[in-house]
Amino acid sequence: MLEFKNVHFAYPGGEPVLNGIDLKLAEGEHVGLIGANGAGKSTLMKAALGLIYVEGDILVDDTKVSRDTLSEIRSKLGFVLQDSDSQMFMPTVLDDMIFGPMNYGMSKDEAVALAEETLEKLGISHLRDRHNHRISGGEKRMAAIATILAMKPKLMLMDEPSTALDPCNRRKLITTLNELPVTKIIASHDLDMILETCDRVVLIDNGKVVADGETLTILSNKKLLEEHRLELPYCLAGIPMKPKRISK
Amino acid sequence: MNKAEKAVIELRAMDELAAQNSPVHRMSPLAKLAIAVLYVLVTVSFHKYDITGLFVMILFPLTGYAVSGISVAQCFRKLRIVMPLVCAVGLFNPIFDHTPLFQLGSITVSGGFISMLTLMMKGVFCLMASFLLIATTRIEAICGALRAIHVPAMITSLILLTFRYVSILLEEVSIMTDAYMLRAPSQKGINVKAWGSFLGQLILRSSDRAERLHESMLLRGFTGEFDYSNEGKSSVLTVFIICLLIMLARSINFSALIYICMERIMF
Repeated sequence: MLEFKNVHFAYPGGEPVLNGIDLKLAEGEHVGLIGANGAGKSTLMKAALGLIYVEGDILVDDTKVSRDTLSEIRSKLGFVLQDSDSQMFMPTVLDDMIFGPMNYGMSKDEAVALAEETLEKLGISHLRDRHNHRISGGEKRMAAIATILAMKPKLMLMDEPSTALDPCNRRKLITTLNELPVTKIIASHDLDMILETCDRVVLIDNGKVVADGETLTILSNKKLLEEHRLELPYCLAGIPMKPKRISK
Repeated sequence: MNKAEKAVIELRAMDELAAQNSPVHRMSPLAKLAIAVLYVLVTVSFHKYDITGLFVMILFPLTGYAVSGISVAQCFRKLRIVMPLVCAVGLFNPIFDHTPLFQLGSITVSGGFISMLTLMMKGVFCLMASFLLIATTRIEAICGALRAIHVPAMITSLILLTFRYVSILLEEVSIMTDAYMLRAPSQKGINVKAWGSFLGQLILRSSDRAERLHESMLLRGFTGEFDYSNEGKSSVLTVFIICLLIMLARSINFSALIYICMERIMF
């Protein structure tokens, strides 16, 4: 489904961000991409989407990501941005949802029907005609996912989907993610969420894949996580001790 | 709430006004655009001393506001900054034009005074009509109407994106102003010394955010042109009647006609 072959990248005048990434994802997999800040998670996703051009090959369904294949590649991949405000730019949720399908040649009626079906599936039909600036952060996140799902992507990439969500909305998001029938890559620092939503985890550090395997195996390896500036998920670490007060 | 935040809210309020449902909102955007352009052209075509002929033109925007359910007060509130400028256009006419036109009791009314009033009325009427158009039509629909009359896609996309990106710019101004004011509570505004870095940061931040938005659009198949689906419908007859009424108001001086009729009835 998605393959990275010896991918290298550095921003102009900067240090290398991706240092020879080799990674292969099969259809139907739910992969968690973890790593400390600046490890290269977002850059790797941007590379898959053709938003940056890298050295090495990236293949989506055996099609190489290049300027000529962008339209085909992007019709298969959906990307949920970290900041929903940057993703939702049309006045209402429905307008935003039909934007993508209509760009890919769907008629307005078909796009609206598809949008309504997606909203129904996610249980957020009440947001259909709401203005984007009038909905809460949690609703906006769900609406942002809906805008991508309405494009019927084969693979969904999500950058920090649980950021700034309250526990209730976070739980709703996890339930939704688990019910999504598409292949997923979730880049996040929320390791508890990764544990609940992904069956495979890829740990990245300094632009390299340092570990790749079954979720619980990697996320329960305290030594490995700490070596790469991460911590055990709260649910595996147990209830954290009350921090000691510093006595004067 | 700072000024930038208020401006964002006002901008978004326009979207909400345009999303209402009324016979005017439901009209075809192209028809509304054509009527608005015709109205503006007809209004500005009145002679500078033809104040009586111009009076009747107020009926069109007033009818539009009544049918669309948008209050005239709201129009004047939103246009509070532009209105005085428009009204100021003819302020010097009474100084330069002393042509006596008629007597009002013992006072001679000069052509300059009348032309000043005419100019003010023209400006106010045109603004009212333009506001009615944007308050009852979504920006996407206006751009769609412009595309329908073959305005280049680059221009319509530019109008649309400017409208959308202005709010992003204002949001960034609002966040930065709040952050600044929280650490400079005794200052009334942004200190001159900070203007350079404030502006630089604003450009960088809004450009970053605009880039993320653009990426989000590209990832959803945006190729440079929006798909402006035609919203709303108007019968050709309705549009024809409205245009005919506007032209009729231009050809016949109804105010003078009513005055003559009343004069004949009374005397």
